[in-house]
Amino acid sequence: MLEINDLAGGFEGNEILKGFSLKVNPGEIHAIMGPNGSGKSTLAKILAGHPVYEATSGKVIYKGKDLLDMDPEERALEGVFLGFQYPLEIPGVNNAEFLRMAYNAKLVHKGEEEIDPLDFDEILDEKMKIVGMNPKYKDRFLNDGFSGGEKKKNEILQMAVLEPTLAILDETDSGLDIDALKTVANGVNRLFNKDRALIVITHYQRLLDYIKPHFVHVFSDGKIVETGGKELALELEKNGYDKYMAPGN
Amino acid sequence: MSSLTAETGISPEVELLESHKKFIEEKSSSNFSSLNKIGAQQFEKLGYPHSKHEMFTFVNTKNVATNFASATSSEINKDDIAEFVYSECERSLIVLVDGQFREDLSDTSGLDNGVKFVSGNEALADSEVRKYIESSAQEENDAFAAINAAFCEDGLFIDIPAKMVMKSVVQILAISNGAEKEGESSRPRILVRAGDLAEAKIIVRYAGLKGNYFVNSVQDFLIGDGAGLGLVLVETDQKEARNFSKTRLVLNRDSRFNGSNISYGSALTRCHLEARLKAPGAEFRLNSVGVLKNKEQVHHYIRVYHEAAQCSSDMHFKNIVNDQSRSSVDGTVIVEKDAQLTNSDQLINNLLLSDEAHADSKPNLIINADDVKCTHGNTVGQIDEEQLFYLKARGLSEAIAKTLLTKSFAASIVEKIEFPSVRKNVEETLLKKLEATDG
Repeated sequence: MLEINDLAGGFEGNEILKGFSLKVNPGEIHAIMGPNGSGKSTLAKILAGHPVYEATSGKVIYKGKDLLDMDPEERALEGVFLGFQYPLEIPGVNNAEFLRMAYNAKLVHKGEEEIDPLDFDEILDEKMKIVGMNPKYKDRFLNDGFSGGEKKKNEILQMAVLEPTLAILDETDSGLDIDALKTVANGVNRLFNKDRALIVITHYQRLLDYIKPHFVHVFSDGKIVETGGKELALELEKNGYDKYMAPGN
Repeated sequence: MSSLTAETGISPEVELLESHKKFIEEKSSSNFSSLNKIGAQQFEKLGYPHSKHEMFTFVNTKNVATNFASATSSEINKDDIAEFVYSECERSLIVLVDGQFREDLSDTSGLDNGVKFVSGNEALADSEVRKYIESSAQEENDAFAAINAAFCEDGLFIDIPAKMVMKSVVQILAISNGAEKEGESSRPRILVRAGDLAEAKIIVRYAGLKGNYFVNSVQDFLIGDGAGLGLVLVETDQKEARNFSKTRLVLNRDSRFNGSNISYGSALTRCHLEARLKAPGAEFRLNSVGVLKNKEQVHHYIRVYHEAAQCSSDMHFKNIVNDQSRSSVDGTVIVEKDAQLTNSDQLINNLLLSDEAHADSKPNLIINADDVKCTHGNTVGQIDEEQLFYLKARGLSEAIAKTLLTKSFAASIVEKIEFPSVRKNVEETLLKKLEATDG
């Protein structure tokens, strides 16, 4: 589904990724773990098409197409979803209305008819249950004044509504208390199936107690330096990232 | 005063005073003749404004009033104006056409019993009204308001009796029916008096049917002790039109003014608003939003006078400017010596959607008392790239995402508009206008 080959890039001339490669098949959950500031988020932003971040070399093939060639909205419509580490607050944009617009954009992209607001409301209610979100957040402005936990739940709600094929969750666990973490993880698990793939970017092993990865990759100095099963995450938890740090760091 | 008009070589002052002479000869008998004379004298003192006048720093007044003839109305019927009538005001509608009160187009069957409305000519028969109007004309500091007084022939006076709590929302619809010749003007004059402890709800909407007209209005709102006025001023003029207005608000003891100003954009709109908080406890709130594209311009010149202690004022302006449009807000709050415990806030936010658009902000405070809390601020910004990316990352197109963000910028002002039908129209038209500009 996704094949990243020797990807290099960063922002404003800073090369953060230095030959990053990864292959993801449907039905797989990949965890990318690494120390803070190692460039994990840069990877997420390049994959989602953030305008400031740029790939300087390498290839990303998603469902047979060159992902880097696509606009951010096109990537989203094709089923790529980035769960933001820091979801933006947009006062003045109604949460439910925004979700409906995004949902409709996807329907139109698939050549289907837009859904009417009442029908969408039913879908939304159901999805909100899955992610354990209070229905009152429908009428709030998008992330405006939400707590950290609510924002992350709202990311997962967006994911639940948009049903992406490939979801990249960037530090979705950071800043969450254990209850919120369980709810978010539970939501993610219920949305996962054999046709979908998930890349979980995290600094802490804790999330992986609730979202079970098939592969754990250690990310350091712009590339994957070790790959293993979920036991690797436990080892990282115990020994830290020290042994992976580039010399001189 | 030497700004010459290119065609004639005659200064606008001379031209105006000449045409005023003719005007007076023709209309000498009306109740307005004394106001007309005061207006002309005051104009002579003030002169035709240009950009060196502090009040017109951001406004190009050249050729705004190229001749001083009054626009004459051609045929107009109810169907022509239906689109400008808000749904909650269909039976509480008062129509002026080119400044003239038109009973045949108005429908006041749903107006609260006891609310009086009379044409300007009748209103001036009331000595108290005449005294107020004439004395404010004598002190007029705005040359265009003086021109209004000099040539004014009719208007509208609404009197809301003391203690009346209005159920109906009155819409005053000032229609410009398009001038015969370029530059001809109409001079609407509106006076609203809300008696002590009355609660009034009023919408004043300016709209045009056709053409390149100049509407030069003066509107006065007198708010009695303990009274409240909810006012929405809406400018939905023709794109080629120019709309200058002078709005005077007088707030008495414990009175409340809650106003919204909405500019849909025209060739040149200028709103001069002067509020006097005359007695303790008066409260003044103004929210304003303008959405401009092409070469449209909207300029606000606001003066709020805190003349008594314990009054509050709160102003918030949001302008969205696209293409080569321009906006300006020149707002000063003046706190007089005895106006202790004044609370005043002023905020101006501008959203620039193009490199060629221009927004000027000049928030200002003059404080002569020592125990007050006053703030002012302004921002100029563009669409936030991170927010834009966030929306696009959910599959929204660039155009839709920008529209959403622009709409969200205006939302805090739009949601404060008191009357649902006005709000709905603003939301729909605002959105439509922004969609059309995208691309």
